[in-house]
Amino acid sequence: MSHGEAGGHDFPPTSSVKRWFVTTNHKDIGILYTITALFFLVLGGVLAMLMRVQLWSPGASVLSAGAYNQAVSAHGLLMVFWFISPFAFGFANYLVPLQIGADDLAFPRLNAMSYWAYLFSGLLFIASFFQGGTFDGGWTMYAPLNLPTYMPNIGGTTVVLALIMFIAAVTMGSVNFLTTMYRMRAEGLRMRDLPMFSMSILLMVWMMLFAFAALLAALMILAAEHLFGVTYFSAEGGTLLWTHLFWFFGHPEVYIVFFPALGIMAECFQTFTGQRIVGRKWFVLAMVLVALQSFVVWMHHMFLTGINLEIKTLFMITTIGISLPFDLMVFSLIYTMIKGRIRFTTPFLFSLGALILFIVGGITGVFLGAVVLDYEFRGTYWVVAHFHYVMVGGATGLFAGIYYWFPKMTGRMYDEFLGKVHFALYFVGFNLLYFPLFVAWETPRRVFDYAPGLTSWHQVASIGGFVLGASFLVMFYNLFVSLATGEEVGENPWEYSTTAEWVVSSPPPLENFPGKPSYSGGKLSFRDEPELTADGSGDDEPAGSPSTDGGTTTDGGLASEASETSSDPRSDGGVRTEGAATGGTGLVSDPGTATPAAAGTGTAHGGGPHADHASFWPFVVCFAGFLTFLGVSGIQSGGAYLGLTAVGGLLSAVGFVGFASESFYVPEPTVAEQWPFGGVENMKLGMWTFLASDVVLFGGFIGSYLFLRVANGWIHWHHEFVPEAHVTFPGLVNTYLLLASSFAVVLSLVAAHRNSRRGVVASLSVTWLLGVGFLINKGLEWQHLFHVSTDAFPNGWNVGTNVASSTFYLTTGLHGAHVVVGLIMLLYMIPRAWRGAYLDDDSSIEYFGLYWHFVDIVWLFLFPLFYIL
Amino acid sequence: MARFKLYTAIFVVLMGLSTTQAVVERTGMVDFDAPGTYWTAFGVILVLSFVKATFVATYYMHLRWEPRSVTYLFLGGLFVALALTTAAAYSIL
Repeated sequence: MSHGEAGGHDFPPTSSVKRWFVTTNHKDIGILYTITALFFLVLGGVLAMLMRVQLWSPGASVLSAGAYNQAVSAHGLLMVFWFISPFAFGFANYLVPLQIGADDLAFPRLNAMSYWAYLFSGLLFIASFFQGGTFDGGWTMYAPLNLPTYMPNIGGTTVVLALIMFIAAVTMGSVNFLTTMYRMRAEGLRMRDLPMFSMSILLMVWMMLFAFAALLAALMILAAEHLFGVTYFSAEGGTLLWTHLFWFFGHPEVYIVFFPALGIMAECFQTFTGQRIVGRKWFVLAMVLVALQSFVVWMHHMFLTGINLEIKTLFMITTIGISLPFDLMVFSLIYTMIKGRIRFTTPFLFSLGALILFIVGGITGVFLGAVVLDYEFRGTYWVVAHFHYVMVGGATGLFAGIYYWFPKMTGRMYDEFLGKVHFALYFVGFNLLYFPLFVAWETPRRVFDYAPGLTSWHQVASIGGFVLGASFLVMFYNLFVSLATGEEVGENPWEYSTTAEWVVSSPPPLENFPGKPSYSGGKLSFRDEPELTADGSGDDEPAGSPSTDGGTTTDGGLASEASETSSDPRSDGGVRTEGAATGGTGLVSDPGTATPAAAGTGTAHGGGPHADHASFWPFVVCFAGFLTFLGVSGIQSGGAYLGLTAVGGLLSAVGFVGFASESFYVPEPTVAEQWPFGGVENMKLGMWTFLASDVVLFGGFIGSYLFLRVANGWIHWHHEFVPEAHVTFPGLVNTYLLLASSFAVVLSLVAAHRNSRRGVVASLSVTWLLGVGFLINKGLEWQHLFHVSTDAFPNGWNVGTNVASSTFYLTTGLHGAHVVVGLIMLLYMIPRAWRGAYLDDDSSIEYFGLYWHFVDIVWLFLFPLFYIL
Repeated sequence: MARFKLYTAIFVVLMGLSTTQAVVERTGMVDFDAPGTYWTAFGVILVLSFVKATFVATYYMHLRWEPRSVTYLFLGGLFVALALTTAAAYSIL
């Protein structure tokens, strides 16, 4: 998409359908996320209704056993993955840049790609229903039920691939948010002073970055079990391996889900009590502690497995321990209410409701954190009830958010009476649904039948389920009607709101602020770019009074003043805010090839060329990914699936080339708080953040190998599972090749510094050749091992021969895939180097080098572990 | 020029350490039937890998010249991976 078409003044308005396919603006993406998440809420909710109908009486036969299993599994997966987290991501997309004083996220196209990958992953899930049945092994996807032996239908494989695509979306989003929040905060906004919601999102994306990488490893292995026949989870210790990988993700996921709700609750408590959160510093510290602790409690989900007693005891202690910082947060919120003057608006009611539900969920969770009690409760409806009090309690906080920010997102107020009706129905329905499950706790989980004595409790629960479901009809009606006829609001309809989004118009203009936001004077002010570039600080120009930590309230008057300084008459981007000056510089921070000179024609916010806001390629790439994954899911069946794979692969290639070739300009702020990553440009930090996630992905693979080897006997493994022909030499040769290729990359940097075009081209070409040599050597080695013929391995040593061959081929295969990606990047870079691209600016070579050297480092561990030891 | 010499010296060290790992294997220290010798070799070889990885990250990936926070970011990922691997393996011992 050229700048002229969609990047500058011609950016389509929100009334245009085209806008929603090309937009890269964070507010648009936030709205897309929010609406899509609500769609999946309805889908998951309908499945829940079906389950409650089935459970009206024992032995009812509304659903077959298989259909019930599918409904349970799909409900859990859709709600946990496709509803709750993306719903919070919607708010985060819309609000975090506004709260921290940024024009947009650091990588707008990556943000759009994240959304489209999320949407298409959900559509992939829906497609699985039409492939002979969807996944039916429970939302925890326990092995061996998740294996093709027990789940031969293609739909089961499709769901695994859908989850992989979903995690790709999450990872892109996490990298983007971390880079943005560390590098693009308004002047004077310290990390510790982030508004509570932004702070909760910061911690959420940190947890996401690592937790989802572990799940990605588990799912990639599971996909390989379905598609290639590797044998991880069916091997000795395999089922335990799945639970380790899954719950290493699964437990942090509880806090990933709950943290945004906690942030919203804190914001709402402040706004609707007129009281700064009591003990804010300790509240934030407690959140950080919980985020860290969440990674060391996962084995409390595994007390009934064969893990040793010492580690069960250790994990019981860490689990009980995590309740302490949560207690602090709960008391902080309660004391905030006591000290403040409460106004019972709909957002506050939902926030208070969320707090009550979470207290019940937390207390009942302590039972499950104690080893002995867990022996009794595990696998019963006690867990179902506790889990829903925590997770849906989190969702309750998110519904507070939708009412709280609805006026900001739409410019109109919802109907307060209907909002309260929604809350009343919701809260009553919720408790009618889930509290009886504590009483009927002896009901076995995931089973469509139960003891007749529990019938009345289940009937109450089913009634509650329908009341809860009906409450959403009120919400949708309220929000839909208010969108058209609600009372128009100005910047700030809430008397004591404190954060920066409330000082700009509702909805905010395309580039958010009427100048460069600054907190250097202790309060939010806006400055023109020339002032900043002239003296490095500029004069304070009070334009609103939100403090960075919610400590001071706005009166709305000054906020209006700020709004009036904006020259943007529209809020949907149809006409852009003009900066006060031309000139200025910016860096290209989105992957692509744009240069400031090539970008746009007008002036960006604060000077310089226009920032771009539109690209069609994220949609194309993700649609291609959808086709490819759908094809791969049934590739063993051939036919149409093969064709889909081919078409998807081809379109993917076109999409990535288009994405990389597109001119897309994103300015980095010239004045911003960047601690602790000052001096590390956005792209570099983004790359490092991605690599930190990739460490966990490879860690999951290498850790799986080590775990299975321990489970099967370290020495026994070597004697029984590995052929004599598996020798050190090919690994050593590949080590030499990769090290030499890394050296060649740093030589290309040296050549760029010396302004040697030929040197850059030659060294990058040598890198490419060495990488190809690596793959050829690996291919020859694999070919040799495939056709080994000995007494122990008469049919060769292929991917499915045993657990050792599976771990070897899959782990080195993943590494090889990384090498292939690097080689493709080089094929793009070498012709550009030939045209002299990197002589003035070698940063692209450096970013590529970070990736390539990381791949090299991984091999430095694969070599000894798989070839020597 | 200084960087070129540094990079070259590190490359030579990396190749040498890799060769050393193979030499340890060739000398018979990786003897699965002699636990004492095997675990010594195991330790030596893995330490060499960590040393090599540190050289690549520090100099080729330029961590030496980046703010310390970037190193912590990378080590954060490594710590998470090691915590998972270690605790999971320990749980079945």
